[in-house]
Amino acid sequence: MFNNISPFNASAINRRDLLRIGGPGMLGLTLPKLLQAQDATVAHAPAKTAKSVIFLFQWGGPSHVDTFDMKLNAPSEYRSKYSAISTSVPGMQVVEHLPETAKVMHRIAQIRTVHHTMNNHNSAGYTALTGVEPPTDDQRLRDSLDLFPAFGSIVDAVAPSTNDMPTFVSYPHTISDGSTTPGQRASFLGKIHDPLFIPNDPNDAKFELSQLSLPSNVSFGRLQDRRELQKIINQQTKALDQSAAAQGLNAYYEKAISMLNSKQIRKAFDISSEPAELRDAYGRTTYGQGCLLARRLVESGVKFVTVYFSRSIGGRSKTDGGWDTHGFDDTRMYEILPEWHFPITDHTLPVLLNDLDSRGLLDETLVMWFGEFGRTPKINKNISRDHWPKCYTALLAGGGVQGGAVYGESDKYGAVPDRDPVTTGDLAATMYHALGIDHTTEIHDNFGRPLPIANGRPVTEIFT
Amino acid sequence: MPPNVFHRSLLLIAALFIQHAAASAQDTPSFRNDVMAVLSKSGCNLGTCHGNANGKGGLKLSLRGQTPETDYLTLTRETGARRITLLDPEASLLLQKPLMQIPHEGGRRFERGSAAHKILRDWIAGGLPQEDSTTPSLISLNVSPPNATVSAPETSASLKVTATFDDGSTRDVTALAVYEPSMTSVTVSATGTVTAEQPVCATVVVRYLNQQVPVRLDFIPDRPDFIFQAPPIVNFIDEAVFAQLQPLKINPAPICDDTTFLRRAYLDLTGLLPPIEKARTFATSTLPDKRAILVAELLTSEEFNDFQTLRWADLLRVEEKTLDSKGVDVFHAWIRDSMAQKKPLNEFAAEIIAAHGSTYKVPPTNFYRALRKPEARAEAVAQVFLGIRLQCARCHNHPFDHWTQDDYYGWSNFFARIDYEIIENKRRDKNDKNEFLGEQIVKFTDKGEVKNPTTGKSIALRFLADAGTQGYEPPTDDKDNDRLQQLAAWLSDPLNQRFATTQANRIWAQLIGTGIIDPVDDSRSTNPPSNSALLNSLQQEFVANNFDIRQLMQTIMNSSTYQLASSANTTSQHDDSNFARTIPHRMTAEQTLDAIGHVLDIPVKFGGHDPGTKAVQLKGVRNGEFRYSEPEVGDRFLALFGKPNRLQTCECERANETTLAQTFEMVSGELVSTLLQQPNSRIDKCLAAKLPNSKIIEQLYLAALSRTPTVAEQNFAADFINKHDNTRAALEDIVWALLNANEFLLHR
Repeated sequence: MFNNISPFNASAINRRDLLRIGGPGMLGLTLPKLLQAQDATVAHAPAKTAKSVIFLFQWGGPSHVDTFDMKLNAPSEYRSKYSAISTSVPGMQVVEHLPETAKVMHRIAQIRTVHHTMNNHNSAGYTALTGVEPPTDDQRLRDSLDLFPAFGSIVDAVAPSTNDMPTFVSYPHTISDGSTTPGQRASFLGKIHDPLFIPNDPNDAKFELSQLSLPSNVSFGRLQDRRELQKIINQQTKALDQSAAAQGLNAYYEKAISMLNSKQIRKAFDISSEPAELRDAYGRTTYGQGCLLARRLVESGVKFVTVYFSRSIGGRSKTDGGWDTHGFDDTRMYEILPEWHFPITDHTLPVLLNDLDSRGLLDETLVMWFGEFGRTPKINKNISRDHWPKCYTALLAGGGVQGGAVYGESDKYGAVPDRDPVTTGDLAATMYHALGIDHTTEIHDNFGRPLPIANGRPVTEIFT
Repeated sequence: MPPNVFHRSLLLIAALFIQHAAASAQDTPSFRNDVMAVLSKSGCNLGTCHGNANGKGGLKLSLRGQTPETDYLTLTRETGARRITLLDPEASLLLQKPLMQIPHEGGRRFERGSAAHKILRDWIAGGLPQEDSTTPSLISLNVSPPNATVSAPETSASLKVTATFDDGSTRDVTALAVYEPSMTSVTVSATGTVTAEQPVCATVVVRYLNQQVPVRLDFIPDRPDFIFQAPPIVNFIDEAVFAQLQPLKINPAPICDDTTFLRRAYLDLTGLLPPIEKARTFATSTLPDKRAILVAELLTSEEFNDFQTLRWADLLRVEEKTLDSKGVDVFHAWIRDSMAQKKPLNEFAAEIIAAHGSTYKVPPTNFYRALRKPEARAEAVAQVFLGIRLQCARCHNHPFDHWTQDDYYGWSNFFARIDYEIIENKRRDKNDKNEFLGEQIVKFTDKGEVKNPTTGKSIALRFLADAGTQGYEPPTDDKDNDRLQQLAAWLSDPLNQRFATTQANRIWAQLIGTGIIDPVDDSRSTNPPSNSALLNSLQQEFVANNFDIRQLMQTIMNSSTYQLASSANTTSQHDDSNFARTIPHRMTAEQTLDAIGHVLDIPVKFGGHDPGTKAVQLKGVRNGEFRYSEPEVGDRFLALFGKPNRLQTCECERANETTLAQTFEMVSGELVSTLLQQPNSRIDKCLAAKLPNSKIIEQLYLAALSRTPTVAEQNFAADFINKHDNTRAALEDIVWALLNANEFLLHR
């Protein structure tokens, strides 16, 4: 996290680092500047239409056929129990319970053919959060260092923020389903690329960034006193300062202390300074205020913000949890969504897009909205729907995306892609493309194996 | 004509004929020996380009040219043979793309008129000849010079690469070979001239077809006034290290001071800081061999057993979810007993590999309990005990070493006949297939083979050994279900140099901070040791002393090399691979946490553990996915500072990097802030004893830095306390400063 300074990167490269498999030498850099040579000639040069990304992750798996890819002519055992309404895009319809969202569909591109093969929340969640499928469809996939890093961690590693703000911020939950869902952190890229994770509730009246707050008994003045004492001791080991380790520590202390005293950072997280009407518009929910915070963060220069819709997969409650509406315990999806998920969504997505737009930020901010899978095209015996990774919808807006565009087409049930299938790797490549990052850029895992940051190709068709 | 003359004539004719064949083969380039070399040299078959598992732009070549046969078909037949235009070779996509005459995502790979261009064109024009039995096959690659020392003002050296083929012919392939330098400050021209911008010890891997040879090149600075000065040579270690430094014109650092040595020895052998009394007396002791005495003392301490156990528990995946708490207890206890009993390391390894029976009653069976698949076991044993990262060879021949997919699956077959009898599994989460709670029996059976998925064939047992070394011959008897006993015997045989070398190198790295082969579990031809003589001697010493960890550690720690200071001089400041000084690094998670507890004299809390348990004594992991109780502040701290979750058999799972989040934890985080204010800490004890401020300051310094404060430090701290009304608060500030000092946080 906070990798805009990385004191070790500069000074600690040694022979051994490079001798690891796939170090620069192994990439064939003896060939005349392999990568640079591509710049002028790459068929799909990264677009660089977005400066930052807001990733609204819809944990639990929203039903694509009851929201944005409704199959109104399907047989009744498939067809949504909701009706559709028209939108700001002629001929395009969305579910009746998203009237505000309907008004901004001209800002949103839909990809209706996202698909993968993972049926369980953790394995599918990891796939959606990283663009890479795990080795097995494991319901309790373990978060180990051989799995792929989060999108934001990769951005931090290959194209970090250049201002004083952290590159990657995520909140307000660590999502899990029985065990922590992999794909939320830096994995083998190393802890320095972990997100700045905020466990605090942005809807809390006393919301603050706990990591950047001093203990109640320590004023900034007292911290400065302590720092003086520390410097006296460090003077005794001046010779150490030649070492990369000491230089790294010195730089981190400078950085930490300045962040603790930074008005810019304090201001970015000071959600209470927003007008009450706007806070109300986003909805006084954890997720709603999280979306508002996301806007503040990209405004202040954070490059990648992940907002998790909920901590749990949910699905049985009208007051809490994610989109996993199976109809278990005699609950009913069609009763729950209009009470909980739809109002929150209709308060946040359109409000965020309009808010970004009114500040001139929409053009440079890519907003992504999707979950780990869609839901079964056929309605189950609980009059609800189960997991469906074979075809579902992702929304992308801003950041150079052509609003109102629809890419890919699902079959008449919304069961499989009919045309232009898109993998989660393609989604990842699309996002990197928008950020101007070559999606074939390589990172190395702990065994030194070179891996492209995205296993797929950018869906360039959705850009203006 | 006498018969022998007749024979000679025949031979002569035959030789002429062969020469002729070779000459005509040179007219039309050979696919295998020329075209494939061009594809490699131009980077076409790298993993980033068409060597990718999915190919690129519709063209998929074998990774780094592993299978010329399929590449031949791909280039000549695939997609309706559209890549080749026989009637007009220059119009072939195979030329137009890399020449950028039509758009190519990979850019221009070679110039018009270059040798590469000519080879591809002539091969096409020659009718795409494929290999037949007369085409010579590469058997070895020779680079001249095999190593080089380049002294300033010279800054470059030329390599000559000669290929030897199975027909006895040789050929200069300097222009066709690929050169991969180990560092970016070294460049190699297409024709093998290596240039370094600054003095450096570099390795260049030279590759032609399926052979690769590492060449070490030492670029020596111009230091006309250089006089080699080094501390005394104590044993073979110093001989080997200094013998390498002297010609490089690098002077080692002086021997470190007593305080530094004391802390270093304590941290390396016990993971803990020295007790205050020890810090007080060691510096003032006048015993001439006090360092050797200290080392001997620490090597026989209980704390040494704790710390060695922690290291092995990391590597052997001692964690609760798979082993359950009882499994963690018994496996940890077994490792600790092995360390306490001074079990030779080869026996320790053999017992793990041959372990079968109940996971509660035969503790080392827990190793297999955690590794449920043959491939996982095979990779783990290769990595932990032999220092080989075999993972690459699962899907294709290892690109950076000689291991083939058949080696991988032949080796994996040793581990194919393990079965589990699950006596009970009371897993709390029915959906979690990774969780086991209850006794299991690890059984060796007589059934089970793993097959090479590429060929669909099962591969006969193979040891992971280099041709010509002990144990290269595969086991002959494969009838009984004792494959793993055979393997254990092979692995632990004193003649098995790979095992001894890997373990000696691990022990070296534990004490010195960097392996002679580094990373320690990544031994391969393309990652050679930085000092082979040193590594060989260590290995021999280790074997000669019956794989005794302590004995080898003692030898290392008594050497001048181990005791060098961390300060760099003008000759050593740019060197970090020849052991000319100690390289500072931050303490590990457990070391840092135990050190903080030691300074404040407060035990830190861990979930599910008795109060007073040290971080180095924790048996399992518990962090990450928390097991049945919330993580305590100590657990969170350890996770933040990089304690591994033990899901990999790799030292790399322990995160040693420094992060800003760690700095925040030290500056204003919950653990340090809470402990500073907690009652009954060292601060309170000092105040309760009514010690004068100067004595309190001294005690805090001794606890944190193992030394007394300097006069300046003493005065500054005393003034600081006097300026404050609240003495305790002022002392908190002083302790904060000590805990955040580089001298505290860094092992140096």
